[in-house]
Amino acid sequence: MRKILTQSDNLDVSISLKTPTSGFVSDRDVLKKRSKKYLDLITNLDAKTLSDTKGMNELIKSIQEEFGTAELANLPLGIISKCFLGYPYEVHTLDLSGSQIIKHYKETETMEAQFEKARSVAKHNAYAMVEIYDDKIILIREDGTASKL
Amino acid sequence: MSQQVISYADLSIINNALRSISKDMSGVHSELGSLNFKQDQMESELVKLADSFSDFVEADLKHKALQLAETRQGNLKQDLQIKFGYYAEVRRMATGILQGVDTGVISDDTLRFTTEEVMIKAPGYWLAPALVSLTSWIRNDKSKTEKALNEALKRDDYKTTLFFMMVMRRLTRNEACLKWLERYFMHQNPHNLDREFIIILEAVTTGVFPPASRNLMMVNVKNWLDQLTQGDTFINEQKKQWVNFFVAIGPLSEGKYPLLEKYTTNWNLLEKSLKEAKTHDVINTHFKNIISSSADFSKGIKVQLDEILSLLVTNFDDEELPLQEQVRFNQLIIQMDGDKNAAQAIMDAERHIFNEQIDFLQLLTNASFNPELSGATRVTQALAVSIGQTWILEAYDTFTAQCRNNVPKLVELSIDNFKVPTKDGSDENELLKEQEIFYDQVLETELSKLSFPYGLLIIGTLICFLGFWLFTINPIVGALGLGMGIVIIWNSLNTHKKAKNKIIENITERKQKGKEVLRGCIAETVDYRIEHLFEDNKAEEVRNLISSITPEDFSSVSKETVRNII
Repeated sequence: MRKILTQSDNLDVSISLKTPTSGFVSDRDVLKKRSKKYLDLITNLDAKTLSDTKGMNELIKSIQEEFGTAELANLPLGIISKCFLGYPYEVHTLDLSGSQIIKHYKETETMEAQFEKARSVAKHNAYAMVEIYDDKIILIREDGTASKL
Repeated sequence: MSQQVISYADLSIINNALRSISKDMSGVHSELGSLNFKQDQMESELVKLADSFSDFVEADLKHKALQLAETRQGNLKQDLQIKFGYYAEVRRMATGILQGVDTGVISDDTLRFTTEEVMIKAPGYWLAPALVSLTSWIRNDKSKTEKALNEALKRDDYKTTLFFMMVMRRLTRNEACLKWLERYFMHQNPHNLDREFIIILEAVTTGVFPPASRNLMMVNVKNWLDQLTQGDTFINEQKKQWVNFFVAIGPLSEGKYPLLEKYTTNWNLLEKSLKEAKTHDVINTHFKNIISSSADFSKGIKVQLDEILSLLVTNFDDEELPLQEQVRFNQLIIQMDGDKNAAQAIMDAERHIFNEQIDFLQLLTNASFNPELSGATRVTQALAVSIGQTWILEAYDTFTAQCRNNVPKLVELSIDNFKVPTKDGSDENELLKEQEIFYDQVLETELSKLSFPYGLLIIGTLICFLGFWLFTINPIVGALGLGMGIVIIWNSLNTHKKAKNKIIENITERKQKGKEVLRGCIAETVDYRIEHLFEDNKAEEVRNLISSITPEDFSSVSKETVRNII
């Protein structure tokens, strides 16, 4: 004979579900919509000069803001987006892992292996930018929606 | 000295003896041969015998198993009859009562008397008090209805709930039906749903149940979704299935680019990528079909619901299941002519079908992929898609991103050993120039392989000189020599020239053909990229389509249906 599931039964289920997910960031968090501020900031990198420390600090601050309380290990290693400097430049990367510098790549230049594998999607018009993580690649559309590759 | 003695000794006897021995030996050999032959024959006979013996044993075992199964089946059926015979009676009665209530030809007293008698006959069986409750309810006997109902719920809460839910729906008691439905939902565990749940879901969606039940269902569904989507495990599993589904429904290739197929080294990748891009269109049609279907399926559902009711009433109860299973197994053994293994295989398959329990997300996914196979209609398919819209969209985004990431950057051309990559065919002139240079180089190397006939020329010249010298001795011989020399020189020069011309001709021809093929390939590359882009752009269309699906969307379909029914 069956028993009716009571609220406490449900509770058990949810607890047992939660346990395995602890320790890494859920897809729900990674796939949440990115803010317009963050998008604007990254896409306008070409126009801005980041030589002054103020601009650089601002950039880092807003990126940290965007990812909230996420641990450092869960932040993207870097961000690739289309370069609007024009020919022969194709894409540029924002390296968040170390020196936080912007590097523009010409069509013929190859990037680091982790970045290179996302190059063709980064060039695609449907995506504003691509976040590179240790174990995944997240594509961000113009409207801020994220999808996982 | 001793050597001489031996050489003169008469060895003929030994020789003869040896000869006779070898003769005997050959006799023995032939004997052995025939023995071997006979042994082989024996062996094959023996194998045949062993085979037929094992066949016999097998047949005998089967026969015995068959006999045993027949006897056992009889015994088990008898057992079943003794232990649960009255269950069958109750079931028959339930069907009768339901039909009787429908037609209204049975008097209250009969109903009361018979059901109460059943109660005594079938202690512990849930259907008996359920029937008492039902008949008391018909007679407006409230206290008895409640008492009997409590007993039925105590005996088997789930089945009683399902039973009353169905009966109330049949009798169109909307409020009561809704209450029972609520209880039914409370019974369901979203991690382990029963097979019949899809039919209930379907019935609610298509509006066979009272309209308010839709709301009730959506609240429950929302709770379940919240529960199931807390972690990534369930969602990711569904997303993976969706991505695989998208990959699988891709169209077949059309052979539209014959030159690229023949002259590119990475054609497999190019073809795969185009196929993936073309999938967007197929997906578009798939989802459009789901959304636009609005047929009234409620009639079919009603039949199915009645089927559940009659199955619920006629199906065996949990307590009799072990015995019933044994009966079924023996039945299968008889059916399979005593082959126990085959019977077991069928039994396992059957058990798998009926014991199948799935989580709610999987149920939705099954209904979205193939409604017919999972026992749902297109209305439920639309509902399932609208409920799962978020992760379908995520899966589709992932699929699209994968497709876009897999697009080969270069078309690797290889024409007549001229290997060159092109991005989109826009560099035609450069490529043609490169090809020209390539053929010039080929010509150069081919010509350099052809050696100039210095040897023959020197010989010819020497003969000429010899001719001159001989001229002073004998003019005729001299003239002959001179002539010979000239002929050799002329001949060798001519052959060389011919070979050279042949090479030039050959390479020019290759160049001509290569150029045509290259131009063709470039044209196809341009077409390929255009088509690819065109197909890829459809992805955004599909994305918008999927984003636009909301649970409210499909409700227009079912609202209509609801209106039809009420």
